[in-house]
Amino acid sequence: MENGGENVNALDEQRPGVEAEALADVPALTLEEVRKTYRVGDSEVVALDRADLTLGRDEIIALVGPSGSGKTTLCSIAGGILSPTSGRVVVSGKDISDYSPRQLTDFRRESVGFVFQTVNLIPFLTARENLLVVDEIGRRDRKRAAARADQLLDELGLSDRASNLPSELSGGQKQRVAIGRALMNEPALVMFDEPTSALDTKLGEQTVGLIRDEMKSRGTAAIIVTHDDRITRYADRTVRITDGRLDS
Amino acid sequence: MFLALKEMRRAKVRFGLLISAIALLVLLILAQQAIQNGLITSFIGAIERQSAPVLVYSVDGQKTLQGSLIPPDLQKAVEGVDGVSSSGKIGQGTFTVRVSGSREDSDAAIIGYERADLGAPQPLSGGRLPNSLDEAVGSAADFSVGDRVRVLPPGGVEGGPEGPEVIEVVGLAEKAQLQVTPTLFTKWETYVAAVRTANPDAGAVLPSVIGLAPVEGVTPEELASRANRANPQADALTRAEAAELTPGVAEVRSSFQVIFLLFGMVVPLVTGLFFLIVTLQKSSSLVLLRAVGAPAGRLVRSLMFQVVVVVGLGLVIGVALYTPLSQARAGSVDLSFDPQAVLVWSALLLSLGVLSALVAARRVLAIDPIEATKGDGGI
Repeated sequence: MENGGENVNALDEQRPGVEAEALADVPALTLEEVRKTYRVGDSEVVALDRADLTLGRDEIIALVGPSGSGKTTLCSIAGGILSPTSGRVVVSGKDISDYSPRQLTDFRRESVGFVFQTVNLIPFLTARENLLVVDEIGRRDRKRAAARADQLLDELGLSDRASNLPSELSGGQKQRVAIGRALMNEPALVMFDEPTSALDTKLGEQTVGLIRDEMKSRGTAAIIVTHDDRITRYADRTVRITDGRLDS
Repeated sequence: MFLALKEMRRAKVRFGLLISAIALLVLLILAQQAIQNGLITSFIGAIERQSAPVLVYSVDGQKTLQGSLIPPDLQKAVEGVDGVSSSGKIGQGTFTVRVSGSREDSDAAIIGYERADLGAPQPLSGGRLPNSLDEAVGSAADFSVGDRVRVLPPGGVEGGPEGPEVIEVVGLAEKAQLQVTPTLFTKWETYVAAVRTANPDAGAVLPSVIGLAPVEGVTPEELASRANRANPQADALTRAEAAELTPGVAEVRSSFQVIFLLFGMVVPLVTGLFFLIVTLQKSSSLVLLRAVGAPAGRLVRSLMFQVVVVVGLGLVIGVALYTPLSQARAGSVDLSFDPQAVLVWSALLLSLGVLSALVAARRVLAIDPIEATKGDGGI
């Protein structure tokens, strides 16, 4: 918050009505010269190298690249799971570059959504409870959360599966529940990490189509990590990453 | 607590088994505690219940009523100790008796006291103290008011409990056995008569111990100390010391303490291992929750809530099972519900359960949300 993001962070202090209006012009995500390195023994491994990226408020990008190219690292930094080694990360007006682990936890809970590649649902919670858990760990407005969970399940075509445990759902249904969970906190940005990797081609395309519809109808930005070129046509644009560098 | 309760509701068998295991361990602990208490009370209850604040044994008696005999010179010495308000002879012997309604002979301990305030049992759970030489107070576990007890001479007698040696039980005292034997408290003369019945050749009947009461301003501990200084053959003890230092009591306690220590280790071990295994099994869920913004502290609180609920329910069920068991009788040993033991063990096991779950809590705190981005299983 303190490292030079004054102009965008100033929006946090404004009145809600004015804020909403002002945020309309603020990008959902801005990465400036973002670098992430790891120490492995005596050598330094560069996972992300001076990445610059701007994502509009309802823009969907497909982040494409081979395994180990830095796709997940970029998403993790944008979503506040990882902190950058250097550079600036601004999500919907909030500069999270120097957030503490506790601030990042709050940020993930309040401001972004995730659909991970494999681990997405709590097995002992029903589909509806998997959505409600976002409220339970956060603001705890139960009435509002219940209404939103029911609305999301309805929109995702899962109203009749709300009481089912994940083990009673098909792969596509699980993925839709995960999408619903990612949207529960009304995020400005949602990260989808290989959302079709566990689905067949047809179901994969249906799921990506659903993601596009949901994001566009809400005006929410999204990054879809994939190495499947066939689903890039659902994105507004495709960004390629190789060896930690974003192709210009 | 949403997550904790939902998980427990969806895994009833798993959590139910742990609760059952803890309940059984609690039952075992409390049952052992009841047996220990019952056993010790059956050994020394009569000493704890008798009214003399200080008992003077002979050193040769090694702190047992059965082994101690007080010669007249020792009696005179301790009765003359500064600070003695009153003193009285107390004799004890084990006799073969026949009780009305029973066809078989049995053993009974008779404790005879010279003064009711220095040797009679207190309090009484029923009836009254003896007024005459043919009356007694009996241990409530073994006698009823109205029972007639005949002390048998060597070789026994024909017929029922009739004759001049018959003692009638007119009062009852709880937890008043001696050496796990039915016990009668009588006047000194009744005791002497019993000794002569059992051993017609007996000479002078000496007291087993001398009961002392201190004057106002002198504590029983001070009086016992003065009596011990007055004569090297005196082994004066307060009532509590006399009970606790009776040979065998310390050994029984230490044997049971080993058992309690083992149980005290098993409960937290079972609880700790269970929650560690559960935490490992649901690590992918915990990683997901951390990744979507669940504070680690909230997940630890959820874990601790489960520990308290599981151990708490185990304690409730264990105590519920122990309650009817504590009303039973194990051989000659009377068991009883011990609320203090229930409270102490409940607090101890709950604390140990929470402590044992700290290993699982450390695992939760160590979870790195980045694990959610690694495709290694899960839903």
